[in-house]
Amino acid sequence: MRRLLLLILALHCSAQAAPAPGIDLTATPAWKGWSRPGRATEVDIRLRTEAAMPATVEVTAGRHIIRTEVDLQPGRSVRLQLPVSSAEDVSVSVGVPAGTLTKRDVGIAHSESPLLGSGLVSGDPVQLEGFHTVALTADDLPRHPSAYSSIDALILDGPTLRALDQRQLGALLAYISACGRVALVNTDARTGQLLDSVRGCSGQSLPSAASLAEATDLLKSSLHARLPKPLTFADIDGSVRTVPPLLNRVAVALALYFAAAVLVLIFTTHAAVLLLVPALSAVAALALLHTMQPPAQLVIWSEGSSGIPLARYQAWQQFAGVQRVRMRVPIPPQLAAEAMPCKPTPAMHIDFDAGRAEPAFAEFDTRLFHRVSLCYSGSFPVSRAVSIETRADGARIVRNSGVKAWPEGALLVGGLVHHLPALEPGAAATLAAKSGQAPGDATHRMAMMRTQVDGAAALWTLELGGVAGVPVDSKGWLLVSVPAP
Amino acid sequence: MTPAPSRRLAAVTGLALAAAVSLWWLGSTRLAVDDGSDASRIADEALQLAWLVRGMALAAIGIHMGALQGFRSGAGDALGLIAPSWPLVAIAWTASTVSWAPMALAELALLAAGVALPLIGRGLHRALQRRELAGMMAMLLGAVLLAALWLSRSLGYLSLT
Repeated sequence: MRRLLLLILALHCSAQAAPAPGIDLTATPAWKGWSRPGRATEVDIRLRTEAAMPATVEVTAGRHIIRTEVDLQPGRSVRLQLPVSSAEDVSVSVGVPAGTLTKRDVGIAHSESPLLGSGLVSGDPVQLEGFHTVALTADDLPRHPSAYSSIDALILDGPTLRALDQRQLGALLAYISACGRVALVNTDARTGQLLDSVRGCSGQSLPSAASLAEATDLLKSSLHARLPKPLTFADIDGSVRTVPPLLNRVAVALALYFAAAVLVLIFTTHAAVLLLVPALSAVAALALLHTMQPPAQLVIWSEGSSGIPLARYQAWQQFAGVQRVRMRVPIPPQLAAEAMPCKPTPAMHIDFDAGRAEPAFAEFDTRLFHRVSLCYSGSFPVSRAVSIETRADGARIVRNSGVKAWPEGALLVGGLVHHLPALEPGAAATLAAKSGQAPGDATHRMAMMRTQVDGAAALWTLELGGVAGVPVDSKGWLLVSVPAP
Repeated sequence: MTPAPSRRLAAVTGLALAAAVSLWWLGSTRLAVDDGSDASRIADEALQLAWLVRGMALAAIGIHMGALQGFRSGAGDALGLIAPSWPLVAIAWTASTVSWAPMALAELALLAAGVALPLIGRGLHRALQRRELAGMMAMLLGAVLLAALWLSRSLGYLSLT
């Protein structure tokens, strides 16, 4: 009996003393750890353990925390890439139910000069005046298009391109379709065709050459081409109106209270009533705020080129708080691929779905009238091909030269906005010479600003019915640039 | 002044102060929202302002009311001055970064002052035995209190955040 008790005690002690299974954690930033202040980057995380267990991975970048759950299996390596803002203090921590926490700091170096990524198997040095060059291998390229905002130009050769995995290639294509500057060196025809099929900005940002010296020269001369700048939240802010209706409701509620209080004062000055009316009104005001649905709005601005099958988009989702509460909001799955907080503040937790490799929820503290925004970007397939001919009398013939019908929209040409009728494939419409009007609203003005002076563009309202999980009060536009008539 | 009209006047004053602060707060918030700046700072300031204007009004008239009308009537008037701002304070708090404890303490301090100042006024009346003299002394004390309050605020001692 004594031996049995000793054995049980020994087993108990050994169970207590057994160390928690160790986790082998490596965290590598994209672009060899280089980025620029205020941009986004990516952290490549590799986990390995000798025991099966669930684990929580948290990446802290400034005031943002990206959190995801993973299932670790013995002997199997788990790899995931998380997009993060390029804060100087980025760390990765892995927690397991046993309570052990493994932490690694990730060094992000901020470059003051524009960054040039050089992915050349030969390792030849690349110099571009004013740029800081970072030598890269294929594995240093990110899987999330948002991480491409860290760099300003890229030189890639054929072997590096061929070594990219599916997700890296997808991110690169999205970068190219968003007019990202990429010079190709000695690429095979098939890869060149693939990249060329999605090029934005009429290919000005995608020079291709047979030698490094030629590619560098082409890249240098492409820097003189004016590419459309990404929109900022400030550019679009005028279209987002979540707080003013809330402000009006609070103003009306306060006005009603003051009117009621004056009415009460006319009839009585009893101390209990004078205390009770404001006290009950304060409780009612808090209850009213509690019952109000927090307003949210999504604005999508997308741009493409006529005949190019991809359009790039930027979207802003704004949430206005109605009370002091921690808000947890789902991220629309179709926009989730590149979801990031728009600003370094407020503190935000993002739940990342490791299975879908996309953010799923955002969590943040909010207050009445406090606006928190999420920014989305990416690309979507589009089929709009527009051709314009100008007749001798000045009238313009607009033809749908694509394979799909388009709805009614607006045609921006010569500084004027024309009504663009819905057209079936192959159909044409004639716009009279003097049928245009000066841009009347903010959307048309913005579209005009994004259209080349000597060019034309077609603007359509996006039908957002097919986008799951978007707020009711959402709007979107597609601007397709058309070669000058 | 008889209790009912003075109480009505105090309550109307309290309402007017609350309405003025509300107007300033909502107007400034609208400007901040249009400007893209943080509206919670305006709410913080509105809470400070609502507290300060009521505190100053109370300092100015609390002792005087107690000296001239007695403790019960004076305290009733003081509460009539403080209470009308409560709905504004509740809404502005939800928009602010002020935590609930300092805000609740500030309101309790106002209520305590609303009771204490008329009591001091009543004591002054008893000590001096002359209504006019007590009234004058109460006015003087009120002015000193008001100045002290303003000075404390200027020196940052009365910050809610």
